Amino acid sequence: MTANPRRWLRATFGALEAVCTRVFSPAWNPLVQLGAIGWFFYWVVAVSGVYLYVFFDTGITRAYDTVEALTHAQPWIGGVMRSLHRYASDGLVAVALVHLLREFAFARMKGKRWFGWITGLPVLMLIYVSGITGYWLVWDVLAQYVAVTTAELLDVLPLFGEPISRNFVNQVALSSRFFTLMSFIHIAAPLLLLLFMWIHIHRHAAARIQPARGLGVLVAGSLLGLAIVVPAVSQARANLDQVQATIGLDWFYLPLYPLVQQWGGATVWQLLGGMLLVLGLVPWLPRGTPAPVAKVNLLNCNGCGRCVADCPFGALSLEPRSDWQKYQAEAVVNADRCFSCGLCVGSCPTATPFRSASVFAAGIELPQLPLVTLREQLEKSCAPLAGGDRLVVFACEHAGTLGADLRRNAAVARMPCIGMLPPSFIDFVFSRRLADGVVIAGCGANSCYHRLGQRWTEQRIAGQRDPWLRARVPRERIALSWDADLGAFRKGLASLPVLRLGGRGASKPLPLPAGPRWPVPMRAIGIALLLGAMAGITGLLATSPGWRQLGQDEAVLQLSIRHATATKVECKPLTPQQMAELKPNMRRPVDCPRERWPVYLELERDGQLLYRGTHEPSGLWNDGAATVFRTFRIPAGPQSIVVRMRDSGRASGFDHVHSGTIDLEPGQNFVIEFRSGEGFTWH
Amino acid sequence: MTLIAWREDFTIGLPDVDYEHRELVSMINALLESLGPDTGVPQIVAALGEIHARIALHFALEERDMHQLHYAAAAEHKDDHERLLDDILDIIDTVESPLDYDPEALGDRLSRWFTGHFRTHDARLHRWLVGRS
Repeated sequence: MTANPRRWLRATFGALEAVCTRVFSPAWNPLVQLGAIGWFFYWVVAVSGVYLYVFFDTGITRAYDTVEALTHAQPWIGGVMRSLHRYASDGLVAVALVHLLREFAFARMKGKRWFGWITGLPVLMLIYVSGITGYWLVWDVLAQYVAVTTAELLDVLPLFGEPISRNFVNQVALSSRFFTLMSFIHIAAPLLLLLFMWIHIHRHAAARIQPARGLGVLVAGSLLGLAIVVPAVSQARANLDQVQATIGLDWFYLPLYPLVQQWGGATVWQLLGGMLLVLGLVPWLPRGTPAPVAKVNLLNCNGCGRCVADCPFGALSLEPRSDWQKYQAEAVVNADRCFSCGLCVGSCPTATPFRSASVFAAGIELPQLPLVTLREQLEKSCAPLAGGDRLVVFACEHAGTLGADLRRNAAVARMPCIGMLPPSFIDFVFSRRLADGVVIAGCGANSCYHRLGQRWTEQRIAGQRDPWLRARVPRERIALSWDADLGAFRKGLASLPVLRLGGRGASKPLPLPAGPRWPVPMRAIGIALLLGAMAGITGLLATSPGWRQLGQDEAVLQLSIRHATATKVECKPLTPQQMAELKPNMRRPVDCPRERWPVYLELERDGQLLYRGTHEPSGLWNDGAATVFRTFRIPAGPQSIVVRMRDSGRASGFDHVHSGTIDLEPGQNFVIEFRSGEGFTWH
Repeated sequence: MTLIAWREDFTIGLPDVDYEHRELVSMINALLESLGPDTGVPQIVAALGEIHARIALHFALEERDMHQLHYAAAAEHKDDHERLLDDILDIIDTVESPLDYDPEALGDRLSRWFTGHFRTHDARLHRWLVGRS
């Protein structure tokens, strides 16, 4: 079901990552550190938010003024901080969505990897809650739109006793307490978001929560540049007596809001619920057979802990020894967290192919691919190779199809992740003269399917992580598929000096030489163009295209009623005999059934029925007030309005009727209310 | 052939490491004893490969402890480990050419390294552990 879009997405991401690797270099490629950039944006939002809050007045009457003063009266810093707050928030939602798409594209949420995916969903939701409540606080026309539409959306849910939309019918109805509540949510939601972000990466060993320093500087510079060139400003002051026809919408946070108006809140909730359900089920669709998990071989395990340190998913731990050996600890696999990537195998000191076949078993192995089998396959497939450019390709299962250059005169050894390859296998290839060169083929640069396989491999080769690839192994005979010109490497093999191990005079291993890079001026231009484009798109979508919520010649008519009708049965005194029949604790002199009459309403405009409905009283015993809130977009101009209500037990006719001719201005918010004792009022 | 002689003063004070030192020394001795003038190259290579793996495993444990204890000379100590691992692989490569292989020289080489390592780096670690406690 999900294979085709995934394949398409994977190809798209692959192409984009290739471009970004060239432009930014593998270490700075933003597409492979989206999560880390998300964390960076979060902290920018948090720091700038704290600054803004110092100057912000949460009262309804002062909110807009304080934001305006912050933006325009403070020299530079206030406006810049506000813009950083806005654009980093937009950046956060953008990288979160791209991150989600990328994880989906590369199927990094299948089966046991559900945890990161599922915990990412509340992260995404909380990002939206944080952002939407933030827009509310500015109290400009966009905030008004957000408040009214959010209330409309929430009123669909059976959460509140009466429609909260009634809080926004006019300036008088809105209280500062409601506003303070929004401020509280806008602070609480990001804190909760931080908690979920931590849970989200909780199972990831060596989770990356900071982008590469250089990339961080570039992203911060882009944000600052955007904040200065396109400062975030408020729109017109909110006025609940008016509805702004067109508003600048932040399409990162509010893309579904226009749908509330178009389709209604219930449909939008169904859409959201459906999306969440599908996203929640994705890790288990379709359900595959999980590979056997890694298995510890205690005869070769002394509890050194290297596998524990290298596991990308925290699936290994050191526990008290369970066998006869007098070590203190042994490695233990948590089967629920093990994704059978084999990175633990690559880290084990005993995973060396120089051992004899009869005893060759590492301290931890993948049952589906024991190292002894890998070695046998390697030796067998190398036997027919000939010439001076024989190649061994150690390839990850996710490396994709190998090019013709790599298949010719080559032996290919596949494994679940390139991080499973013990460096001593490379040494073994040269020591036994099995080939003249080794290619290590993995996923794209820094985009390892199992997170850390490529990083650990590079570090093991460079002597920065155990086990080291021994210094004696000639680095010029090794190439990484994600950081080398493989064609040139292949051609160059035959012309290398005679292969000789040992006697190199270097005790420390050396990293592989960096692959081909674009010249610095070209990269600088590329980076400027790409970051400029991203900043430009962010600045653009933060306010435009504008959303026309009301036609130029339209006005809004709101029916907002809260009415406690008379009880259905009048109170009547009980006789002493009737009282005696009641239980002692239920005895009372008067019997007053609490159920009230429903409210029946009709609204006509120019003789045309605009609305008709019956509204039951609230409460378990139907003893509360009936509430009605409806919004209608109608043409502006003079028109006759008739509103009728029946709130008694009569079968026909009406108890309250109000009619008149009104002249609505474009954008006017005209409200019809009902007050007991006064009847209908409108304004 | 010279075998490695275990002495109590080689003890460094880390229970796991000391236990494995003894196990390792006896295993290396057993393997070396099994290598006579008539031993075939494949058997020699297999025995050396096993020694290499076992030593690497032991070093990993010792390095973990040094790292956890923030031992100041850990890097220097590890370099000495890596030198021996390099040497053993070089020796394995020479066994591939039987004419160059000298079992006596191999035994001497391992023995010298271990004795030297015990007396210098491990003794220094031991003194550091004692001073720390």
